Amino acid sequence: MLALRLLWRNWRSGEVKLLAGALLLAVAVVSGIAIFTDRLQRTLVQESNVLLGADRVVRGSHPHNPEWEQAAKEAGLSQTTAVHFASMVYAGEHMHLASVKAVGEGYPVRGQLETSLVPFAIDPQQITIADGIPAPGEAWVDSRLLPLLNLQLGDRVAVGEYELTVTRVLIREPDSSNPFSFMGARLLMNQADLPLTEVVQPGSRVQYQWLYAGRPADVEAFSAWLEPQLNPHQRLVDVGKNQQNLGRALATSQRFLLLAAVIGVLLASVALALSARQFANRHVDQVALLKSLGASSGRVRRLYFTQLFVLAVLASLAGLLVGEIMQRIVEEALWRSYQIRLGSGTVYPYLISLGSGLICLLFFALPALWFLPYVPPMKILRRELTVGRIQIGVQVALAFFAILLLVLMFSQNLKLAASVIGALVAVLLTTALLALGLLRLSRSLAGSAGSVWRLAVANLQRRREQTLMQIVVFSVAIMLLLTLTIVRTSLLDDWQAQLPDDAPNHFLVNIPQHEVDDIQQLIDERHYQRQPLYPMVRGRLTHINGVELSATKVAREGVFNREANLTWTADLADDNKVVDGNWWPQWQSRHGLPGVSVEVEMAREADLKPGDRLTFSLGGLAMEAEIASLRSLDWRSMRPNFFFIFEPGALDQFSPTYITSLHLPPSDKAFINDLLQRFPTVLVIELDRIFEQIRTIVTNVSDGVQLVLLLTLAAGCLVLLAAVTSSIDSRKQEVGLLRALGSPRRLMLGSVWLEFSLLGLLSGLIAVLGAEILLASLQHWVLETPIKPHYWLWLTGPLLSALLIGGLGVVSCRPAVNTPPAVVLREAG
Amino acid sequence: MGLQSNSVPTANSAPTNPVAAKPMVSAQNVAKTVHTYEGALTILQDISLDVAAGESLAIVGASGSGKSTLLGILAGLDLPTSGSVFLNGHHLTDLDEEGRAKVRAENVGFIFQSFQLLPGLTALENVLLPLELHGVSNARAAAAEFLGRVGLAQRLHHYPQQLSGGEQQRVAIARAFASSPRVLFADEPTGNLDSATGARIIELLFDLNRELGTTLVLITHEERLAMRCQRRIELNAGRIANSTVQT
Ligand SMILES: Nc1ncnc2c1ncn2[C@@H]1O[C@H](COP(=O)(O)OP(=O)(O)OP(=O)(O)O)[C@@H](O)[C@H]1O
Ligand SMILES: [Mg+2]
Repeated sequence: MLALRLLWRNWRSGEVKLLAGALLLAVAVVSGIAIFTDRLQRTLVQESNVLLGADRVVRGSHPHNPEWEQAAKEAGLSQTTAVHFASMVYAGEHMHLASVKAVGEGYPVRGQLETSLVPFAIDPQQITIADGIPAPGEAWVDSRLLPLLNLQLGDRVAVGEYELTVTRVLIREPDSSNPFSFMGARLLMNQADLPLTEVVQPGSRVQYQWLYAGRPADVEAFSAWLEPQLNPHQRLVDVGKNQQNLGRALATSQRFLLLAAVIGVLLASVALALSARQFANRHVDQVALLKSLGASSGRVRRLYFTQLFVLAVLASLAGLLVGEIMQRIVEEALWRSYQIRLGSGTVYPYLISLGSGLICLLFFALPALWFLPYVPPMKILRRELTVGRIQIGVQVALAFFAILLLVLMFSQNLKLAASVIGALVAVLLTTALLALGLLRLSRSLAGSAGSVWRLAVANLQRRREQTLMQIVVFSVAIMLLLTLTIVRTSLLDDWQAQLPDDAPNHFLVNIPQHEVDDIQQLIDERHYQRQPLYPMVRGRLTHINGVELSATKVAREGVFNREANLTWTADLADDNKVVDGNWWPQWQSRHGLPGVSVEVEMAREADLKPGDRLTFSLGGLAMEAEIASLRSLDWRSMRPNFFFIFEPGALDQFSPTYITSLHLPPSDKAFINDLLQRFPTVLVIELDRIFEQIRTIVTNVSDGVQLVLLLTLAAGCLVLLAAVTSSIDSRKQEVGLLRALGSPRRLMLGSVWLEFSLLGLLSGLIAVLGAEILLASLQHWVLETPIKPHYWLWLTGPLLSALLIGGLGVVSCRPAVNTPPAVVLREAG
Repeated sequence: MGLQSNSVPTANSAPTNPVAAKPMVSAQNVAKTVHTYEGALTILQDISLDVAAGESLAIVGASGSGKSTLLGILAGLDLPTSGSVFLNGHHLTDLDEEGRAKVRAENVGFIFQSFQLLPGLTALENVLLPLELHGVSNARAAAAEFLGRVGLAQRLHHYPQQLSGGEQQRVAIARAFASSPRVLFADEPTGNLDSATGARIIELLFDLNRELGTTLVLITHEERLAMRCQRRIELNAGRIANSTVQT
């Protein structure tokens, strides 16, 4: 086939390499990022599912419908059950209100139970991963239960009417329940023993859990089928609701990765458009020749479009391959440094990558090539004949449309798309204005300058159209690169700020009043920093404005349906903000009731406003309060956060326990054991594990981001290279001529260097302007961080770009300057 | 090769065709007007001529007299504003661009002043191009053979940049003859060459013309080349100023 032969010859002579390279890069950037994000997302969801013990859990006060089990089995899901309740457990004369969990075979369906034969074990050598659940007659217990009941491993403990042997210490378990809701030490037992304990009676407070897991799509489909069948006492829980922190880190990182993908594609597209232009220019002669030889327009179109199509397919496949390899490299790195295995992805990112390659080709390359079949054959005799190209305005409009399409495809975010387009328009306009003005200025400056300078400026002036186009291309490329770099840095900083190294990483909960001083003292003795201490009373919201909660539509919603932690304080924590109403003591009750401040999102859900009356049940006693204010709070902060905060004194008649937080360096984990051995009633919540997880994710993602950045940088350089070579093409002859006329090499290179550095400087300035606009809109609309200017950018941006582009210019012009003028002239002729 | 120049001036009315009844190339009352910023510009006017099969015609005239324009119209690369053009019996002015392309494909070869070799293709591939375009079987062998005939058998795989101007023009000749055209149009084929090289190119051109019976229509500034043609017409400001039969 002739088209293929032509393609091969064009390839060999290097004419389509840049074109293919640009397309390859576009597809590689997209696929690398898309495949990686897809897999990362899946992995992160699964990792967090490990915390849940399953992909989804049905929780309720009644057992699940047994018919569902068959359906789940048919859907290919693994499943198990757990029954969760608080019960007194006895050993000799000691007793403790334990948090008992009776689990079925196969528990958990995600994650593992870590156990040990050594209480409070920290050394990984002493910790083993259980390959099952406690055998009938056995119990695995929290370490702290041993001192609480004065037990040893092997001793027996009574749960209701049945005695179990404590065989192992439970170090870690995945758990879906709210760590604040059951304060007792955990006792894990086999569900087969449950009837023997006779603890679960009609009316006793028990939470039934049905856990299932499977392939993401299967889980989704099954959950969609299941949800409508739940009764009012059952809830379907997934990680999203449980893991706010992970979710947020994930969302931001994904947005960043997608942004990077978009920017990478845009850069590659610009390179594609430029190289297509260059290709078209070089091929006008070839087309005219083919036509004079009797090829019709249709034939020429077929020949060229076949070439383009084949090239596109090959380049896209190669791009896909490169993308795949890249994401495998990241995967390998993840495995080596964090022992994280990425889950398998879907075909979706592969399709997206090919699709974006196609869009790039259609909207960036094709318009530049469209006129080729219409080159008049007479061109072969009259070189100066002009050819009707697609108007540059139309090409730009098409490009903008494609950009919109691409950005929307990746982000499904109209604001992001608008931001990018807006910044591009700004760059175009400023370029037009600024470039014209600055060129004029540099010309008047050049009047009094040396010959190198004059030659450089004269060159810029003479090729004004080309110069303007180059400035646009350079500034767009540099703008995108700057934006990406800055977004990445601020994103990482943001994450770091979210997780300061000395942030409290443990909660101490359930501290009895009489132990508060001793514990504070212990903390002081170890020179740990004291954190605020909050009193806490557990209570349940029962009435809103006198209407029973169970009669309202919010009855089924999460927080309203379970006991909440109530506290009181005189001072508002700094990350809490009153958004409606007043904080005490400015607040005055209308009904003579004590005041309560409610978290704003919860208030919105239930349509609560200041002045509404809330009735709580605290240990069977009812108390009424009036909403004084609505508060927003930062869930990302690792402090105790409360939905309801009362005014001081309001809860005096209820005996509180206390909660505080603590920062423990990893080397001091043993402190927890000391603490628990001395104060076994205290519940320690190890946030450091969650921190660790978030940190791992952040590091992973930023590694990925690093790679993406490198790739886009490559795309950017390709753009610059394409722009520089296209102008070098046209100046080879001139350089040859000047050399033939005896211009010294130094002067030639000097003027080229100056010319391109000048171009770089101008483009750098415009790029910084565009980047600031883009960054501001990104920060405002997409990343939702405060807008702030980047002063140092105004200095480094133009300088770096002058250096880079000046260098590129010299490097690509050097061969023309160095080869003997005769050769250059012959080649150019 | 000796030259007998028995120039016979003729009237500048309808030229006669002394060789054959049915002309290979024929133009009747051809005129070409283009529209420029300064208004309509008449480039060619009142051109009528016939070229018989196997005949050789030289078009001469001052620069800007319209030679290239006329050549393009005769070859079907361009359309006249008025008048008719026939090529091997095809009424070019009645055909659309597709139709003319087909006629060109079947009948026409070109040689240009600035060689028009594709820089990315080797000598062989440049010659191959028209053959491949026309789907000729055994194209490679044919192309190599023609390159051999123009004395470039050793240079098949060289790129244009690696060839001298004369060698490049020989490749162009090989390419023009490779598809065995009925008519060969040449626009100053020796314009860029020194006289010795030009002379060799001229020999080659006429050897092939004789051997293959190809009709030749060529533009030249060189008296030497014009003299070798059987007929010459001289253009002056877009009109035929002189038409001479030489034997
Ligand atoms: N499409 C066009 N638009 C404007 N002017 C044209 C066009 N085509 C030809 N001309 C003009 O017509 C005149 C004849 O052009 P042509 O190329 O035929 O001359 P020529 O005889 O081949 O000259 P030379 O010997 O220099 O090649 C020139 O003045 C040219 O500028
Ligand atoms: Mg001419």
